[in-house]
Amino acid sequence: MMLARLKRSEGIWLFSRSPAALLAAIVTLVIVLGALLAPWIAPTNPYDLASFSLIDGLLPPVWEAGGDARFVLGTDDQGRDMLSSILYGARLSLSIAAMAMAVALVLGVGLGLAAGYFGGRFDAIVMRIADVQLALPAILTALLIDGISRGILPRDLHDDLRIAVITLAIALSLWVNFARTARASVFVERNKDYVQAAIMMGQHPLRIMLRHILPNIVGPLLVIATVDLASAILLEATLSFLGVGLPADSPSLGTLIRIGMQYLLSGEWWILWIPTLFLVVLVVAINLLGDFLRNLFNPSLR
Amino acid sequence: MVGYVLKRLVQSVFVMLAVAFLAFSLFTFVGDPISQMTGVETSLEDQARLSKELGLNDPFFVQFIRFIGDMLRGDFGYSFRTREPIGEMLLTRLPATLELGTVALVISLIAGIPAGIYTALRPRGLVSQTILISTLIGVSIPTFVIGILLIFLFGVQLGWLPTFGRSGTVEIGWWRSSLFTAEGWRSLVLPALTLGLFQLTLTMRLVRAQMMEVMRTDHIRFAIARGVPWQSIRYRHALSNTMIPVITIIGLQFGGVIAFSIVTESVFQWPGMGLLFLESIRFVDIPVMSVYLVVIAFFFVLINLLVDLLYVVIDPRLRVRESA
Amino acid sequence: MVRMTFSTAAMALGTTLLCALPVAAETFRWAGTTDPQTMDPHAVNAAPVLSFLNNVYEGLVRRGPEMGIEPSLATSWEALPDGAGWRFTLREGVTFHDGAAFNADDVIFSYERAISEPSDVKSWFASITEVVRVDDFTVDFLTSAPNPLFPGSIANFMILDADWATTNSADLPARDAENHATRNANGTGPFVLSSRDPGIETRLTPHAGWWDSAQHNVTEAVFTPIGNPATGLAALLSGEIDFISPIPLQDVEQVESRDGFKVLAGLETRVIMLGFGHDHDTLKYSDETNDTNPFLDPRVRLAVAQAIEVDTIDRVIMRGAAEPASQLLPAGLSGFSDEHADRPDFDAEAAKALLAEAGYADGFSFGLMCTNDRYINDEAVCRAVASMLARIGVTANVNAMPVRGYWDELRADNFDMYLLGWSPGTFDAEHPIRFLAHTPTERLGTWNFGGYSSARIDELLEPIQQEIDEAARQAMIDEVAGILQQDVAYVPLYTEPLIWAMKDSIDVVQRPDNFFMLRWVSVN
Repeated sequence: MMLARLKRSEGIWLFSRSPAALLAAIVTLVIVLGALLAPWIAPTNPYDLASFSLIDGLLPPVWEAGGDARFVLGTDDQGRDMLSSILYGARLSLSIAAMAMAVALVLGVGLGLAAGYFGGRFDAIVMRIADVQLALPAILTALLIDGISRGILPRDLHDDLRIAVITLAIALSLWVNFARTARASVFVERNKDYVQAAIMMGQHPLRIMLRHILPNIVGPLLVIATVDLASAILLEATLSFLGVGLPADSPSLGTLIRIGMQYLLSGEWWILWIPTLFLVVLVVAINLLGDFLRNLFNPSLR
Repeated sequence: MVGYVLKRLVQSVFVMLAVAFLAFSLFTFVGDPISQMTGVETSLEDQARLSKELGLNDPFFVQFIRFIGDMLRGDFGYSFRTREPIGEMLLTRLPATLELGTVALVISLIAGIPAGIYTALRPRGLVSQTILISTLIGVSIPTFVIGILLIFLFGVQLGWLPTFGRSGTVEIGWWRSSLFTAEGWRSLVLPALTLGLFQLTLTMRLVRAQMMEVMRTDHIRFAIARGVPWQSIRYRHALSNTMIPVITIIGLQFGGVIAFSIVTESVFQWPGMGLLFLESIRFVDIPVMSVYLVVIAFFFVLINLLVDLLYVVIDPRLRVRESA
Repeated sequence: MVRMTFSTAAMALGTTLLCALPVAAETFRWAGTTDPQTMDPHAVNAAPVLSFLNNVYEGLVRRGPEMGIEPSLATSWEALPDGAGWRFTLREGVTFHDGAAFNADDVIFSYERAISEPSDVKSWFASITEVVRVDDFTVDFLTSAPNPLFPGSIANFMILDADWATTNSADLPARDAENHATRNANGTGPFVLSSRDPGIETRLTPHAGWWDSAQHNVTEAVFTPIGNPATGLAALLSGEIDFISPIPLQDVEQVESRDGFKVLAGLETRVIMLGFGHDHDTLKYSDETNDTNPFLDPRVRLAVAQAIEVDTIDRVIMRGAAEPASQLLPAGLSGFSDEHADRPDFDAEAAKALLAEAGYADGFSFGLMCTNDRYINDEAVCRAVASMLARIGVTANVNAMPVRGYWDELRADNFDMYLLGWSPGTFDAEHPIRFLAHTPTERLGTWNFGGYSSARIDELLEPIQQEIDEAARQAMIDEVAGILQQDVAYVPLYTEPLIWAMKDSIDVVQRPDNFFMLRWVSVN
C-alpha cells in the first residue's frame, strides 16, 4: 500500500511542499555520496600513515592566517588533512550506524513478529529480554560486549573486530523499538479477517508474517530506522567521547570529536568544531527526513 | 488479576537474574583489577596472592553464586579501589543522581507538555515549525557538546553559574540535598538543563503525537459534531485523554534520565552514581561497576513493573486480554 | 647523602617563597584528575595517594623543593659501622593531630605495619632485616648488606600513631574491606584531615601543633578531583578553584593569555620510551606471515631510534614542553651522567640503510601497543611514531588502549613494541635498572615486559645497590647506561613535562616528582 503510494509520486509531490525536507534530503544525499566516494574524492587517505607528516600538524583552515592550500579545512595534531578525515570519518560513522541499524531492524522485527504471532511464553521471554536491554544503557551494553569479546576472542583479532563490536553494541541498544512496533502491529493485524482467513487456509506462519503483516508496518519501521540511524551516529560519538569507542587511527566522526575536545580552548578551534558541525548537520538532516517520512506514512498527522 | 501480577513479578525476578549475570560476567571479562589496586613496586607473588584472596581464581559459577548470595543479604561488597563498602558509596551518590534526574524531568515536562500541545493544535504555524526544528537541532547535538558549551557560556564567559560539582548541599539524615539553598540550585541548573534538553524533545513529541491521535478519535469528532466549543474540546476532552499514556511513558523516561545522566555527570563532575560508574570503569573497579548495573536495572524493572500494573488498573480491556 | 641537581623554573620561585612571610590567611581550593583512593599511607603505593598524604603524614626524612633529602621526624641519621644499617635520631616534642606524642614506638609500629602482608609498600624495606628501638628517640634500621640509598628511599614511609591505629583497629593496612584509616588520618604533618568525601571533596586544615614553622598561609585547603580536563580548566578560569594540575599542554597558551592566571611548566621525572619484545621469536601483530622477530636485531632497533624525530614530537605534540631523553632516567637525577647523554641523531636515510643491512629493505609490519589515558598525549605520540616509522617503510599497527587493561596485555606478551613511561620512585638510577633492565625474575625486572637480558647488567645491579663510594658507583651505573644504549634495549623518547595552572595570586613550589605540597602554598 505504502509503496504503491510512493510509486504514484505522492512522495515527490510532498517533497515539493516541504522545502525543509527537500533540503534535508539533498544534504543527506551529498554527505552520503561524499562518504561513499571518500577514497576517490578525499585529498589524502588518513589511514595511510605515510601520507601525512607531523610537520604539517595543527595548520588552520585555508581562510585563516597561516592556512595551507593543501589542507582546505586545516590539519589535526598529527598533520592529517581535516577534510579527508571528515570524509573518511563520515564513511565509517555512516557504515557503522547503517550496519547497526540493519542488524537492529532484522533482529527487532524478527523477534517482534514472532513474539506477537506466537504470543504466550515466547512473547513473554522476548519482551523481558527487551526489558533487560532497556535496563542497560547503551554505554553499558557497549562496554559489556567489548569486555566479553576481549575475553572470548583471540587477542590478535579483537582490534580488527572493534568496529564490529561497536556496531553490535549499538544494534543491541536499538532493536527494542523495532521489536515493540512489530509486535504491536501483529496484535492489531492478527485479528483482522484476511489474516484469520490466511491462517484458516493453513498458510505457513512465516508466509503470513512476511506477506500479510510485515507490509503494514513498513512505514513505521522506516521512520524508526531513520530516527535510529541518527541516534546510532550520536551514540557512536558519545561512546567515543567516553573512551569506549573506536581507536584514534580509525577516524569516525565520534573519534574526531573526541580528539577535537582536547583543543576546545586552545585556539585550534577547527579540530573540534568542523567535525562537530558536520555531525550535527548530518544528524539534523537525517532527523528531518525521519519527520518527513513520519508525516508521509501517517497522513492523519499532517 | 492476581495471577497476572504474580506472573509479572516472577518475570521481573528473572530479568534481575539475567542482569545480575551480565553484570557479574564483567568480573571475568573486563580488565585486570590487581594491577590497578597495587603500586608499581608490588612484586608478582604479592599480586598473585591478592588475586587469590579476592576469590578471583575461583570458578565462574562459584563466584556468581557468591555474588548473588551477598547481594540478597544486602552485602554489596567492597570497592577494589577505595576499599569502601559499595552499598554506602551508592547511597551517598544516589541523592545527587535522583535530584538531577528529577529536576531534568521536571524541566522537560514544564517546557515539553505545553510545547507538545501547542504544536499539535497548530501544526502548520510558524511558531510550531520553529519549535519543532529547533528541538530537532537540540537532539542532534551530542549531549557532551551541549554541556561543555553551557559551561563555557554561563560559567566561564558570563560567570553566572558554577562550572562543576555540587555545592550548597544540606544534609537531611543521610540524604544530601541541593534543593534547599540558592547555591545548591545554582550548581544544579546547568547539568539539569543539559540532561533535560534531550528529554524535552521526547516529551514534546510524545505529547504532540498523542494529542493529534486523540483529536482524530471518534468521541472528539462526535463532540465537534455536537457543536461543543473548540476550547472545551481541546482542553477538556483531548488533553485529558492525552495525559494518561503520556504520564506512564514519562514514568519510563525517568529510568532513562538516570541512565543517561552518566554523560552529564561526567561533563559537570556531578557527584552522582553515573560519575561513580565512569570512575569505576576507569580504574577497573569491577565490584562497583557490577553493583551499579544491578541497581540501575532494578530501578528499570521496578518502574516497568509499576507502569504495567498501572495499565491494568487504568485500562480494563487489558485485564481481559491478559487473562484470555 | 643523595643530592639532587634537578633544575626547573620552579626552584627560583621556591626560594623566594621560603623567604616570604605568611600574610593574610585564605581558603585554598585545588583540583587534580584523580582522587587519592585511600587515606591509608601503607595500603597503596601510588603517586596520587602518596602525594596527597605527604601533607598529612610525615616520614623520618622528607624531600625539599629541589628533591633533596632533609630531616623530618628524624633530626639526623648515620650509617652504622660495617654497613650494618642506619641509625635515626628522632625529633622530640612532635605531636600527632590528636595530640598524642610521637616517639620510637610509633616508628616501630609503622614499620611493622608497612611490612605486613596486606601492605603495598613492603618493597621499600626489602633490605631491612630488623628495626631496633634503641631508646625513646633512637631507632636502628638493620640491613643485611650495606645500603647507602636507604635514607633517601623512605621519604614516603609515613608514620602513624601506634595507639590511634590500635584503638581504631587499623593495625594493618586495609586491603579488601576498609578500616578506620581508609577515611581518617592521624599524622604529624602540617595539615589535618578535617573531612573526607571520597571522589567528591577532601578538606584539610592546618595542624596548630606542627613542629616546623609554617611557610604557608592557608587556613583551609579543599581538594576536588575533576576527571574531565575541559571541566577542570573551566573551573579554574571561572575562579572556582585556585589551582589545577595537570592541564592539557594545548591549553597552556590560553591560560597564560588570560589576566589573573599563570602556568608553571617544568619537567617531571618520567621518561617516555619504547620497549621491544626481546624474548619474542616472532612478531605477533604482523600483516605478513613470517617466522622472525626483526627487533631481535640491534640494527633494526637502532633504525627505529634513528627514524623517530623526537624534536618534532616535542614541538608539535608536546608544544615544546618536553625534553628529549637519552637514558631510562631523566637528565639531572642522581646517577645520571653526561657520558651517555646523547641520543641517536634523527636520520631516516641511515635508518633505511640499517634496515637494508639487516635484511629488511622492504620493511615489515608489527604491532605497537600504547596507552591512551596514562601519559600526556600518549596516543598522539604513538601515532606520530607510527607515521615516522612509515617513512622508513616499517608499518606500525597502533593499538592504543586505556591503561586499565594495558599492563595485563604487556604481561601477557601481547605486543611487538610498546610505549612505557617510567618515573624512578627513588629518584636514583638504580631504580630503572632494577625494574626495567634486569632480567625478569619474581622480584627483579618486574616491569621489563620485553624480557631484555644482559648478564653484565644483572651482575652489576647488586654492587650498585651496595656501593658507598660515589665515583665507583657512578662508574658502574655508566657502564649499565652504556650497555643499554649499545643494545638499544629501549628507545628513550623524552622526559614528560609537568604543567600546573593557577591563579596569579597563588605561589607554589613545583617539585619534579609532581607532589603537591600544601606547606609551600601561599595565597596573596
